[in-house]
Amino acid sequence: MKALEAQQLSKTYRKAKAPALDSLDLEIESGQIFTMLGRNGAGKTTFLRIASTQLLPTSGSVTVLGLDAVKEAKELRRRIAIAPQEAETIYPLTPRDHVLLSLRMRGVEKHEADRRAKLALEDLELAEVADTNSDWLSGGLKQRVIVAMVVRTDADLVFLDEPTIGLDPVNRRKVWEQLTRLKKAGKTIVLTTHYMDEAEALSDNLVIINKGKVMAAGTPQSVKAAVTNRSTRVDVMDRFSKSELAEYGHVVAIAGKLRVLTDADGARRLGDEAVARNATIAIAPVTLDDVFVDIVGEAEKDEDDAD
Amino acid sequence: MKTMQTKKTLRSLWAIMYYLGFTPMVRNPLFMAFVFSTPFTLLFILFVASNGTALPYGLAGALTMITTELGLFVGTDLASYKLQNRFQDIVVASPVSPLIYMFGVALSELIFGSPALLILFGLIAEQGATFGALVSCLGVVMLLWVTATSLGFFFSAYAPNTQNAFIINGFITTMLSVLPPVYYSVKVLPVWLAPLAEVIPTTEASALFQGAIGLGYSVEPVYGFAVLLAATFVMLLLVSFKMKWRES
Ligand SMILES: Nc1ncnc2c1ncn2[C@@H]1O[C@H](COP(=O)(O)OP(=O)(O)OP(=O)(O)O)[C@@H](O)[C@H]1O
Ligand SMILES: [Mg+2]
Repeated sequence: MKALEAQQLSKTYRKAKAPALDSLDLEIESGQIFTMLGRNGAGKTTFLRIASTQLLPTSGSVTVLGLDAVKEAKELRRRIAIAPQEAETIYPLTPRDHVLLSLRMRGVEKHEADRRAKLALEDLELAEVADTNSDWLSGGLKQRVIVAMVVRTDADLVFLDEPTIGLDPVNRRKVWEQLTRLKKAGKTIVLTTHYMDEAEALSDNLVIINKGKVMAAGTPQSVKAAVTNRSTRVDVMDRFSKSELAEYGHVVAIAGKLRVLTDADGARRLGDEAVARNATIAIAPVTLDDVFVDIVGEAEKDEDDAD
Repeated sequence: MKTMQTKKTLRSLWAIMYYLGFTPMVRNPLFMAFVFSTPFTLLFILFVASNGTALPYGLAGALTMITTELGLFVGTDLASYKLQNRFQDIVVASPVSPLIYMFGVALSELIFGSPALLILFGLIAEQGATFGALVSCLGVVMLLWVTATSLGFFFSAYAPNTQNAFIINGFITTMLSVLPPVYYSVKVLPVWLAPLAEVIPTTEASALFQGAIGLGYSVEPVYGFAVLLAATFVMLLLVSFKMKWRES
């Protein structure tokens, strides 16, 4: 079953020259973790805001949990929750207050809300600071408070806009655990992130968007595979110029080294040549990071800058 | 099913009032002193400068000013929940309806202001006001609160950012509840100025307070009520054009 379906969804903000979403089509399966990737300004937040009934599209449609996000917003709102990008804690409430406010305004009865708040605070390692004024918390703790507000609601679909921003690696994994737990409970998660490892580790499906358009969609594996002839990356530390490498594949300059995205055969040939030249290279499968940069990055420009 | 829904709605309303009104008040009582220092200061100045004779005017003025502030604060609250901490986004994508949310935020301000209002009612009673007069005052407070809150909604809908909302708030408070005949009688104004003052809702509210506590009605009570209701209506109308639960 589809949890979300967008058809020809477009959004042009008032006074904006270019559309933020440009005839976007996408589908999200129910009970999955779905991730949206894209550069700053690609349109991720715009999409989440339209699907979560905050913002009206200019044209096209979104159906969420079988309900039209524009025409059936009222019914839909009972079944969704969002952790918005750049949400901030409210003075002078504590983390526990935030979670209780979120649960009780959604209609959860007091004792049940208390029980769930305790769990949510434990889930995100906020138990120790549960009754501290949120203003005194560090940035990452505040961010976890926002996430804690949505992990124990009754919503069937939860939107999280960059939930792990500013979190240390340990706490990022705490959030991942929660998202996985929600998924196991049958809920659908729609996530945005700039961390490719996160997308790779968590997503059942993902989409890479650029300038409001879908550039690639599928499982992390299939998206990586879809970039033809670029299954392998070869990092070349020395003894090759950019133009010499061009014959082996697509060349990207990264922090002083040259990275060649190529297939197995190209890697083999380049490897032989590197041995002959006594050059230092490293060969590895491509990561989502490489694919992302390849698809939406200005690889050509970076290359020129490095020369 | 129906009662279940009503129960949930009441829980929403209660949660918003409790966490946005009651909790901040209890946790930070000093904040109330900051917020309500101006009306009580003006009350004090009037009291000492007149050797006590202008105290009733001071009470009517302070009651008007505090109620106006409570309404206008709803505007800054809503603006910061929407623009700064994005709490409104969380609320929109939830079962909470816009009406419950706005009502909840408005009531939370009323809770926050209730100690100040209680003090004023105590002072009025202490001045020898009858029970009837106190009830009239309470009625006017409620009416002015509705008017001022709709004004708050209006400013929140038009505020581009929170800083603006706060600055405008201070200015409007002074323009509405210090400058016009709020702490004094409209009768002392020059005849050409009085009609201008009489269309300001706070003038009417204060005149109604003044009448209720025995200073005599400087305007017809019916006219006073009419101005307050008309102002509420106009503000809510303007708000309905501009304020959108969902942005476009
Ligand atoms: N309220 C707004 N008014 C006008 N333009 C906007 C508004 N919000 C976003 N935009 C524009 O729409 C485009 C998409 O923005 P959006 O916030 O959806 O990007 P994003 O993918 O979430 O980026 P980020 O990774 O930085 O969060 C951008 O060009 C942005 O400038
Ligand atoms: Mg964004």
